[in-house]
Amino acid sequence: MLRFALKSMATRRAKLVMTALSVVIAAGVALLAYNVSTQVSEGIVNTAAKYDIIIGPSGSATQLAMNTMFFTDKPLGTLPYSLVEELNRSGRVNAAIPFSMGDSFNAAPIVGTDPALLEGKAVKSGRIFSAPLEAVAGSAVAAAYRLKPGDEIVTSHGLSGEGSSHAETPLTVVGVLARTDTAYDNAVFTPVSTIWALHDHGEDHDHGGGDEDDAEPHAGEADAGASDAHRDHAARETGDDDREICAVLVRSKSLNDYAALMSAYGDNSDYLAINPNTVLREVMDNVDLSRTIVYALCAVILVMNLFVVSVIAVLNMVDSRREIALMRLIGIGMDKIDRLYLLQNAITGAAAVALSLLFAHLCLLAMRGFVASMGIVLNAWHVYPAEWLILLGVFLLTLLPTTILTRRMARQDAGATGH
Amino acid sequence: MIQTKNLSIRFADGSGIRYRDMTFDDGRSYALLGASGCGKTTFLNLLSGLLTPAEGSVLVDGRDIAALSPRERDRFRIHRVGYIFQDFKLLEELTVQDNLDVLRLEGVDTSDMDTLLDRLGILRLKRRRVRRLSGGEKQRVAIARALIKKPAIILADEPTGNLNFETGEAVVQTLLDNAGGGTLIAVTHDDRLAPRFDEALDMNGIASWRSGREAE
Repeated sequence: MLRFALKSMATRRAKLVMTALSVVIAAGVALLAYNVSTQVSEGIVNTAAKYDIIIGPSGSATQLAMNTMFFTDKPLGTLPYSLVEELNRSGRVNAAIPFSMGDSFNAAPIVGTDPALLEGKAVKSGRIFSAPLEAVAGSAVAAAYRLKPGDEIVTSHGLSGEGSSHAETPLTVVGVLARTDTAYDNAVFTPVSTIWALHDHGEDHDHGGGDEDDAEPHAGEADAGASDAHRDHAARETGDDDREICAVLVRSKSLNDYAALMSAYGDNSDYLAINPNTVLREVMDNVDLSRTIVYALCAVILVMNLFVVSVIAVLNMVDSRREIALMRLIGIGMDKIDRLYLLQNAITGAAAVALSLLFAHLCLLAMRGFVASMGIVLNAWHVYPAEWLILLGVFLLTLLPTTILTRRMARQDAGATGH
Repeated sequence: MIQTKNLSIRFADGSGIRYRDMTFDDGRSYALLGASGCGKTTFLNLLSGLLTPAEGSVLVDGRDIAALSPRERDRFRIHRVGYIFQDFKLLEELTVQDNLDVLRLEGVDTSDMDTLLDRLGILRLKRRRVRRLSGGEKQRVAIARALIKKPAIILADEPTGNLNFETGEAVVQTLLDNAGGGTLIAVTHDDRLAPRFDEALDMNGIASWRSGREAE
């Protein structure tokens, strides 16, 4: 039956390809929308879950969260490194991790921090940095530039990758992180002291092409003069300790400690203390609204597609009507014709569904670069259980119109089938 | 043996045909002669179970075809009857082989296909699409599809309809040669072919048309 089904399908291949394509586009878009929105949401939630407070210079809470969680956007300004020491001395934190960003390697951000930031991240090769000018590359960066332990990389000033080069102080790659499907894949990590070494006071930088307005505030550069926050802080400096960072990621010991720290630093006009979960949830609320709109559009596309599939199915049936009539005349039973056409529809539907999945995930693959620039790394080949459900639904919807029509035609008396 | 008893059919417009009782013996060949429109094709359709009589019965080996369920009639047609339609009723987009293989859906053994196609002189066309064949070649494919299942009853509707006499005579001879012991009932308007058959019956004397008013 399969052989005959395939031969019969081959005679109507143009219409079957049209049917499959219309399903592929509609179902593919639905899968793509679901997968991207889910991965983005999960990426945001998973990334924000590790820290309950982020302290940065006063400014935009969203900017601070996006910068420290996803390594996107510019830092708000600088803080004294002594704040980290102060927090560690307070006895209220499990971890106070310095965060510094402002240089880049081929547009991949260089994050100055402590090894604690990479806790829980698997190392694919080499080790975590332990000394200034050592670096650990995220998996995507390492893959893109074929980095391996022992390689030297030259960073440049600013986040665009086009700033002045730090050729005189290259970093040595000592490790490569395993793939995490997070923003960590797209960054290079180094001790915060590396940033200070690269940006000694008095070093002359052109801030990425000399456009001072676009320059990122830079930890370690008290004279950068690029932001109000920076200038405020520069005025605050004592001159005894010019080590600067962009933010501190904090894990407080208890709810009481969290409240005390938020009170102490949140009420301080020099600092901005945020709960990243709260801030990113507000961002997510907007994402959810967008997602609802996308889902609604997908539903409309699917319904329209079902209509198109039905129309094409009717056209197909016009072709099949004669075939069915002939088979009935020579005595092929209704049940066999039912099964034959069900098999044909199932083959078409299955092919369309499989191609939909492939189409959606190839689109995901193509979107990876774009979404990665927002700090979220999409796993192009991750399939959610809900996607299988969507595909099952689409498969059944694809079968429905043709199956109903075939059954109606096959059930006609053989003598009334056009003889 | 096929017997028709008190057979009549009524059409949607109220008109109908009543047939005289007839008997067709196993293994013999019959030519049903008569002008177009005298009810020959309708008679074949009644014999094959494609049409259901308004009254009367078609008995095949004592079993009334009209009383069978639709599925049983399908089975009767696929396994007992080889029907060669006037316009062939072939799947034009498929190959000769596919047109015979379609019977495998109902469990018909088509393993003798090559032998039969060879006997009919169309083995070389086995993998050719039917729509690319000539009328005569299509007719041979239709004959092959009817005979491949070694049917007990072979019904042929105007098998020589579009052919010249010589070609038509050859087709009839092919049918007779390959009937394989089945009962052959062929409808034709060409009475010159009658001597080829065991028996020739004039449908004008067998079928009587009734208008809608007469039927009422």
